[in-house]
Amino acid sequence: MRINWQLRRLNLKIVYYGPALSGKTTNLEQIHLSVDPKRRSDLVSLKTHEDRTLYFDFLQLELGKLAGLTPQIQLYTVPGQAYYEASRRIVLRGADGVVFVADSDVRRMRANLAAWRKMREHLESFGIDMDTFPVVVQFNKRDLPTAIPATTMSKLLRLNGQPLFNAVAFEGKGVLPTLKAITKAVVGQVQKELA
Amino acid sequence: MNAQSNSSYQLRSGTSILPSQDKAFHDLLNGLLQQLPAKFMMLVDVAGQVVVAKGEHSNINLVMLGSLVAGDLAASQEIARLTNEYQDYQIVLREGQDSHTFIAEAGNYLALFVQVGHEVPLGWARMLITKASQQLEEIMQENEPSQEEVAGFELEMAASLADADDDLSDLFGDALDDMWLD
Repeated sequence: MRINWQLRRLNLKIVYYGPALSGKTTNLEQIHLSVDPKRRSDLVSLKTHEDRTLYFDFLQLELGKLAGLTPQIQLYTVPGQAYYEASRRIVLRGADGVVFVADSDVRRMRANLAAWRKMREHLESFGIDMDTFPVVVQFNKRDLPTAIPATTMSKLLRLNGQPLFNAVAFEGKGVLPTLKAITKAVVGQVQKELA
Repeated sequence: MNAQSNSSYQLRSGTSILPSQDKAFHDLLNGLLQQLPAKFMMLVDVAGQVVVAKGEHSNINLVMLGSLVAGDLAASQEIARLTNEYQDYQIVLREGQDSHTFIAEAGNYLALFVQVGHEVPLGWARMLITKASQQLEEIMQENEPSQEEVAGFELEMAASLADADDDLSDLFGDALDDMWLD
């Protein structure tokens, strides 16, 4: 995060992380579609020819004036494909909070688990204390007939009290609650650090 | 808020830019803009957030460019590490027909993007940009507010946080609701 005391500007970086095709970019696309255009940037997407995320997607939100500060939230996604591990680590650097987007399809549980473990590994390599770092989990694609129960997914990922949201991001369902939850978690952490 | 010492303004993570540092950034980049001379330059943090922009940028989307500059530099640093060529204050140069662009690392938190015309010698530009990068890092490290700044922050932060009480998170949540179009 960055605070510019001259401009009273608070900048926060939130990263959407998860396995390939879990819906990270879809979350940002839905936010881009749903937010007042005066309060957001254009959506930056660095994609391959096959329309897959190559490096990151980026969107900035302007929240107006709050408590004497002008907050801006920067949303990034990581590329999900397995061989972009180095890129994922780069994008995670400097994150103030993470949304982990898991795929509810029963066939993607192994990929979810691998991504979850790797994300923790990256964050810990930055010296981040996972007990206090803001993480919100989104179980996406809940509309799939092959979706496994959320309780089972929670057990598989061994979630430890992280806020959890069901979503069908393609339809916009669950996108705002997830964004609000991670934002509030990050702001709560900032308040603790400033207190 | 306990603002008895300078450390009160230091976040455990991320960066905090004081008015004195902000002014120093502006002064330094104004000088660099003239000296090179440059068409356009921009200081961003490593997350891509724009700190200062100078020169002609009315047709440039600074927010998008900031994210791409940070991403470009981060990728270049990682490439350098993987190929055992990493060193401090590295510069990425792109030569163009009409202008050249430099992206320079300025310490752990900042990156400097500079665009110069083709008539500016590359060696001259590289030397000045490297020097400026080092000075930017020094400014960032000199996180020592003056007594006047300390007094000002004490008052303003106390007032802001008192107004917000414990509901700052809720304020952010409400702001997101407000900007969401159904």
